[in-house]
Amino acid sequence: MSYLVMECHPGYAVLLDEEGRFLKAANLRYETGQTVYDPVLMKETPERQRHTVRWISSGVAAIAACFLLFFGIGYYQNYLQPYSSIYLTINPEVQMELNRQGTVVGLTGTNEDGKTLLEGYDGKGKDKVTVADELIDRAIEMGFLSEGGRVSFSIDSPDEVLFQEYGTELRTKVTEYLDGRITITIEITNHQDGQGQESPENSSSSTPSQPSSSQPESTLPSSSEPSRPAVTPPTSSNATDYDDTDYGPNNDGVTDYTPPVSSSPAYTDTDYGPGNDGDTGYTPPSTSKPPADTDYGPGSDGVTDYTDGDTDYDPDHNDDDNDGDSGYDDDDSDDDSDDDNDPDDDD
Amino acid sequence: MNDAHKIVEQVYAAKEDVRAADDLIRAYLPFIKAETAKFLKRPPIEGQDDELSIAMMAFHEAIGGYSRTRGSFLKYAAMLIRSRLVDYSRREQRHSRVLSLDAPIGEEDATLGETLADDREPHEETALRDATRAEIEELTRQMQEFGVSLSDVADNCPKQQRTLDACRRALEYAKGNPELLEDLLKTKRLPIGQLATGSGVERKTLERHRKYMVALLLIYTNGYEIIRGHLKQVMKGVAVR
Repeated sequence: MSYLVMECHPGYAVLLDEEGRFLKAANLRYETGQTVYDPVLMKETPERQRHTVRWISSGVAAIAACFLLFFGIGYYQNYLQPYSSIYLTINPEVQMELNRQGTVVGLTGTNEDGKTLLEGYDGKGKDKVTVADELIDRAIEMGFLSEGGRVSFSIDSPDEVLFQEYGTELRTKVTEYLDGRITITIEITNHQDGQGQESPENSSSSTPSQPSSSQPESTLPSSSEPSRPAVTPPTSSNATDYDDTDYGPNNDGVTDYTPPVSSSPAYTDTDYGPGNDGDTGYTPPSTSKPPADTDYGPGSDGVTDYTDGDTDYDPDHNDDDNDGDSGYDDDDSDDDSDDDNDPDDDD
Repeated sequence: MNDAHKIVEQVYAAKEDVRAADDLIRAYLPFIKAETAKFLKRPPIEGQDDELSIAMMAFHEAIGGYSRTRGSFLKYAAMLIRSRLVDYSRREQRHSRVLSLDAPIGEEDATLGETLADDREPHEETALRDATRAEIEELTRQMQEFGVSLSDVADNCPKQQRTLDACRRALEYAKGNPELLEDLLKTKRLPIGQLATGSGVERKTLERHRKYMVALLLIYTNGYEIIRGHLKQVMKGVAVR
């Protein structure tokens, strides 16, 4: 390609190439009108624009990376990171790790039977209720769980609301699932403080003003009906509850009928004084004193159960305990001790 | 500080005016020489070292490419000079085994170029060059009537092949309609509308390359046979296409 030198400047020369382009090139001692063959052309660099493009593209890339990171962390926190745990105890003990969505992200057998139970089972990505149902099915198949058995869910969750939500959901769904096939007791405890969760119907049936006798008697029909398993005394220990009686020398001071509102049930939950919730439960056998829910002495809760002359003094609550019953103190002393033990035995 | 401000103003003036740019380059020739000397590790000899020409071109490029956001002008120019010299030395490495015609041979004063037989006729060549120069000078004078300089045309020349082809198509149309060229000479105005409708080239393209089109069309008016001869083959190629 030959170039015609059109114009000469100290810094450059203007050349005309054969294709009709006018170009600037280094003036290598050129003269106007000369034909040259190998000029050093000036670079045409639209540097400004290229910089802008680079700046924009790098900015876009950075924003994209931020978004990816943001959503990646969000996804991890929501779906992958274990957020809460449920310890399922039949006899096999299984730990379920849940993400924020309540989906199982990890399953571990925490004892030998638990490992056997989990053998060949993959519950990852399933909902906690599905996994619980399937594990109970497997436990029944393997003979770990039989009629009248007990299943305990110990929920380890960072906040109380989630514990309540999971507890209620597990209780209702698992009960529904097993309804009509097998009767078992379902127990929900908070893994962190060992506090039991009471089902909504139970807490409503054990309103503080209720006389003590109503509670134990209601357990009799409910013991054969898993839809009201909350009457089972939830305890801090997952093992058998037979020793965990509230009666006699083994009384551990944990009343099993404590409504969730009272967090430290120990001695405040008595039938004496202002803490009296009407739920005498255990006191009569441990003391030779008159029943707590009397209208005599210091145990008086201000509700006279009999003075109004109406024997059916508690029509709002369960009828069973009032039928043919004058409804005052005798119930507590006699029936309570029996009835209270009954749910434990039956369940 | 004041100096820095002054040179920035000079550079911005040089961007607009070709003569101011030339003056600036002349004024800063010592700086350009110093930068070249840093690269060559010896003082450059004016009129012999291509590197100095390259450095001057780089300085000119720096005038065009400088903006206040790029910091100090002289640092920017020094950087550009260095990189253009590096580019040039890489390019020249390919010819490292080629002897320079200007290299002195033996003890004598004669150079290699002088000892070689030259089959070209020096007188004829000088005559041709003079004729060409006369044509170019006439073209430059005529372009001045349009307010266009050759440096402007070089800056305004289409970079993309597609745009260049579009401009050539417009030129072909003008060649087919000589009255357009006559109009151009008479009115000193580029008939962009007629060119666009006649050749089918986007009006915007022609407007953007107005200066280039003026130069191209002027070359194809009367005279300028030598320049046309230089372009001839290419334009034939377009006609075939």
